[in-house]
Amino acid sequence: MGAVGFVVLFPLLGFLVLLTFGRRLGDPVAGWLGTLAVFGSFVSAIVVWLARLGNEGHPYVLRLFDWFSAGGLHVNVSFRVDGLSVAMILFVTGVATLIHLYSIGYMKGDPLYHQFFVYLNLFVFSMVVLVTANTLPLAFLGWEGVGACSYWLISFWFERPTAASAGKKAFIVNRIGDTGFLLGTFLVFEHLGSVSFSRLTAGSLNLSPDTATAIVLLFFLAAAGKSAQLPLFTWLLDAMEGPTPVSALIHAATMVTAGVYLMARLSPILALAHTADLVIAIVGVATAFVAAMAATAQTDIKKIVAYSTVSQLGYMMLGIGTGAYTAAIFLMITHAFYKALIFLGSGSVIHSLNGEQNIRRMGALKKYMPITTVTMILAWLSIAGVPPFSGFFSKGAVLENAFGDSPLLWAAGVITALLTAYYMGRLVYVVFYGTPRFEEVTHGHDPHESPSVMTIPLIVLAAAAVIGGLLNLPVSGFGFLGSWLAPVFGTAQAAYPMSAGLKDGLMATDAVVALLGVFLSWRAWGGVSENPALERKIFFNGWYIDAFYDRAFARTGTAVAEVADTVVDRQIVDGAVTGVAGVARLVGGAGRKVQSGLVRSYLLIMVGGLIVMLGYVLTVAAR
Amino acid sequence: MAQYLPIVIMLVLGGVFAAGSFIGSGLLAPKRPHRAKLAPYECGIVPRSEPPERFPVRFFLVAMIFIIFDIEIIFLYPFAAAAGELGTFGVIEVAGFALVVFIAFAYLVANGALSWGPSRKQSYRVVEERLASKVPTGVRGE
Amino acid sequence: MIFANVLSQLPIALPAISYKAVAPELVLFGGALLILLVSATVGKRELPGLYRAIALVAALAEGGFSGYQLYLAQGAKASLAVAGAIAYDGFSAFAGIVVAAILLLAILIGPGFIKRIAGDGPEFLVLMLISAMGATVMAQGEDLIVIFIGLEILSIALYVMVGYRIGDGLAREAAFKYFILGGFSSAIFLYGIALVYGATGTTNLAKIGAFLALNVLTHDGVLLFGLALLLLGFGFKVSAVPFHLWSPDVYQGAPTSVTGYMAAMAKVGAFAALIRVFDIAFAGQIVQWRPIVVGLAILSMVFGALFALRQRELKKILAYSSINHAGFILLGVYAGTAAAISNTLFYLIAYAVIVVGTFGLVSIVQDSIGVSEGSCSLDQLRGLARSRPALATVTAIMVLAQAGAPFTTGFLAKFSIIVSVVEIREYWVAVVAMLSAAIAVAFYLRIVLAMFRGEPEEVEGERVLAIQGAATEAPARRQALAWIGVSLSLVFTVGFGIFPQPLLDLAARAHIVG
Repeated sequence: MGAVGFVVLFPLLGFLVLLTFGRRLGDPVAGWLGTLAVFGSFVSAIVVWLARLGNEGHPYVLRLFDWFSAGGLHVNVSFRVDGLSVAMILFVTGVATLIHLYSIGYMKGDPLYHQFFVYLNLFVFSMVVLVTANTLPLAFLGWEGVGACSYWLISFWFERPTAASAGKKAFIVNRIGDTGFLLGTFLVFEHLGSVSFSRLTAGSLNLSPDTATAIVLLFFLAAAGKSAQLPLFTWLLDAMEGPTPVSALIHAATMVTAGVYLMARLSPILALAHTADLVIAIVGVATAFVAAMAATAQTDIKKIVAYSTVSQLGYMMLGIGTGAYTAAIFLMITHAFYKALIFLGSGSVIHSLNGEQNIRRMGALKKYMPITTVTMILAWLSIAGVPPFSGFFSKGAVLENAFGDSPLLWAAGVITALLTAYYMGRLVYVVFYGTPRFEEVTHGHDPHESPSVMTIPLIVLAAAAVIGGLLNLPVSGFGFLGSWLAPVFGTAQAAYPMSAGLKDGLMATDAVVALLGVFLSWRAWGGVSENPALERKIFFNGWYIDAFYDRAFARTGTAVAEVADTVVDRQIVDGAVTGVAGVARLVGGAGRKVQSGLVRSYLLIMVGGLIVMLGYVLTVAAR
Repeated sequence: MAQYLPIVIMLVLGGVFAAGSFIGSGLLAPKRPHRAKLAPYECGIVPRSEPPERFPVRFFLVAMIFIIFDIEIIFLYPFAAAAGELGTFGVIEVAGFALVVFIAFAYLVANGALSWGPSRKQSYRVVEERLASKVPTGVRGE
Repeated sequence: MIFANVLSQLPIALPAISYKAVAPELVLFGGALLILLVSATVGKRELPGLYRAIALVAALAEGGFSGYQLYLAQGAKASLAVAGAIAYDGFSAFAGIVVAAILLLAILIGPGFIKRIAGDGPEFLVLMLISAMGATVMAQGEDLIVIFIGLEILSIALYVMVGYRIGDGLAREAAFKYFILGGFSSAIFLYGIALVYGATGTTNLAKIGAFLALNVLTHDGVLLFGLALLLLGFGFKVSAVPFHLWSPDVYQGAPTSVTGYMAAMAKVGAFAALIRVFDIAFAGQIVQWRPIVVGLAILSMVFGALFALRQRELKKILAYSSINHAGFILLGVYAGTAAAISNTLFYLIAYAVIVVGTFGLVSIVQDSIGVSEGSCSLDQLRGLARSRPALATVTAIMVLAQAGAPFTTGFLAKFSIIVSVVEIREYWVAVVAMLSAAIAVAFYLRIVLAMFRGEPEEVEGERVLAIQGAATEAPARRQALAWIGVSLSLVFTVGFGIFPQPLLDLAARAHIVG
């Protein structure tokens, strides 16, 4: 099981080699090398998994060295192998391998080709560290690492101003969440006396419910930032400025699910904090619904998929909030398959249409891109939850637990499921069926199917999306993932007593709702490409949430920075520079006045500060 | 507070005297202004600003050297007054102090602080030239 | 009458001077004098190798003495010396080690670059050693007057060093501005000392502590007034908002190697004295001064981070970054517990090494692109990763270490300071600190991005020419020693970032004579 070290080591090696020699290796050797590194990591993950098959019960910890200890705080660099982390590294490295492979084709000809793989390998390394870390600070390292890589990759095409600002936005939102992570770590340390996951289960028994609630809410803040929950989800939409493989890997399959992973990892504490769980469940289902509504009206293909991702992440949080950790992880894995597939399929479309992302300028692509079309349809049916595709089982498991917790949560979830089937249907019909509307993009020549280095990952992912449900069938004896994860979650996992009939009824409802959504989308969008009645402006603009943030927060922040810029910088500092550099001499005596005024204004501010201090001292502090 | 009263009275008196002189001369002096009388010069152009005066930096160096020795003497006087009481300890300390001052002085002399007239010391001229030649570099560095 | 007064005091009580206690100062000052003497007597003014060797020996000897003191201080032998005016304890010894580390790095990095703008004379190293001595005096000062003298020794040498690029208007202005504002703050500091003396009847910190422990002031207005004025003096030196205004100008105008040295040395001296004065002597007044210190800390952290966001001048960004760091270190003073003090020391050594290394790298970058030691805009860094990958990577690591990236000392420094704040249960302060660190990361990443983005060819041809011009002067040889210094700071930052335990233990041993 020490092979977990290799899981971490391979992407790190890839990163270092590419960083040093990447430019000399060039296109496409650098890409293949990066892919190989991640594939090595995947193979190691399989080795770890096989080694574990016998003894699932006991977690294995690979301790490398002590990092630091300050006071009672001992932090070591150690990696944890248990059901949860193995499940995570398997699907993270697996999906990452496929997406690396796809990127070899997608990024072809980009001037910063090698650098893309540098970032991508660093990302995989950080992600693996995050999911295998055995202490909170080490997990934080991975958490920060994936955040930084996400920032760099979103603004990878930094020549576009939108890409640069999108990167910044993602960064800032995530940093807000990180504060929650650190504070939560401090609270955990203060109350459990340790920041190691090994002590979490035993130590959490001593926590008071209030403390547990505080800890959970702080970490949920971090998770909400990373996993794009209400009200922090807006960055994910802008993140679509990044190259499509990035969107698929980071903003659909892996990084955004880190928040869900974190909550699952903390399940012993979550089990104690019922109020916080309810908050998580409500936020989750609200996110799922709001994003699904917004997805129904988007015209940018990547925006649709992005909203869909937010919506699915909401489902996962619903699972976490209702104590259905296994279901949440199950949904996370299947979602990684079909969402990565949808992104890569969209990327394939975008690639063949010379970068066009507006679905109004697509249509009838079925004829030109058969593989993409078929795989996309399979992805659609999976995400919609049509039986027997994977989404049916994973989403069904989440909804079943939601029903056990509260029928209201379930109802909201079911409505969202209907919307999911519908908006994805809209995407498929408008893009692949109907009339061709891409002439002005392609200038006459027909779109083409993508090269096989791009379609092979599509096919593999499609297969996974179709049969992914096998991982955890709701039939006794076939719930592999459930029994695999059972030792990790233990008693934290909620169990809702339900009769077999009720369960069947719920499953039937899911199936009917999914089929209904598919039917509705066919009725509304079969052969139609535009329908203002169904594409409300409020949904197109994402409920105006982003605009609201922009007004309320971003502009205030910018204003502060601008004041700093104009007043402090231009007036005082730049004034001084020009004052000395000669302009002052040209203006004559005025220059000297300006300059003497500047030091004076410095003094004035210092004295102002002094007066405030003295005022405080004399009025408040002095006896 | 009573012992401060003379000081306050002194201050007030001083202020009254100064103000009184100004006010008195303003009231008593005859005033018959004329344009020519108000002009600073009987002929020539009225300067708009103070002309810059070039002042050799060596004057400052000499002044600094003077101050250094001045301070040394200020310290040596009380030492001399209590030399017997301070004993060997005092001698060592004052010698150390004098040594420090002397090294500073030696440095100054070596750098030509006291050499008036055309500089003959090779090293000093080199520094001056380098400093002069560096002026454009610094500006270009902007 | 005067003589009668003097005579009435006889016999004079001779102070017992423990030369061991003041050995760091003596060594540094002796080194400075030796360099001056050599330069004055040998007949040849420029002997860079010899000067550098003397300075290095002095720095190492100072570090050795301090290490020895730290070792001695373990056996509870810590004591006061020179009539109680100099403290001689683990804390001052640790500060002495920090000073030695800064000196060592700065001596390796600086003179090679200074040579290009002001020749190979002895003055630079002399000023450096003297200002370092000022910092050790501040760290050891057990009397407010001694601390003030240390402050002045440190400051006056720094004023001169800041103005080293004589030919450049910006540098002249910076030095002059620093001087005037520094004089102002010194005067206020002195006034603060006077008020404290008025309130307690002594300037000796130990006696002040004893006095305040025994007596309750019915009206402590004068004392607190004095404390506020002292805080202004210290706040100016460490560039805490709102007394920071000099620092962006001065950081930009000063030669880059001086900037790094100054940023580190002034902070070490001022913070060491600040801790000794406030956390020890005025520990009883903690309720009164704490709000002021936390106010300064928060303003510094927040504004330091915000103002840097829109800067395009690299050295100004780093100036604001150091303001942000000052806010963090102030939090250690604010927490005031023994653990917080040792965490502050850890922060100081981590910060000092990182900042000297970072500015050293900026010096190397500037040297390579032909703008010796002057100001440097972010655009000039564009494409550095292409032309000098090693340089860009090392710079990125150091900048990220400033940002607090894990596995560097920068992370542990910030982390432990926040732990200290959490330990005194001031959670909101911890939140603000973390948010400011979060904002700060944005501008640190901007520096990294600037280097790793874009092509060197994109910049106008002039720069390419500048690179070639610099290359003809064999930069490799000139930069060799600087690279050694930078590598040392990198090894320190990353090495102790991964295995910080020895350093943390060392900082934990640094107790103050109470």
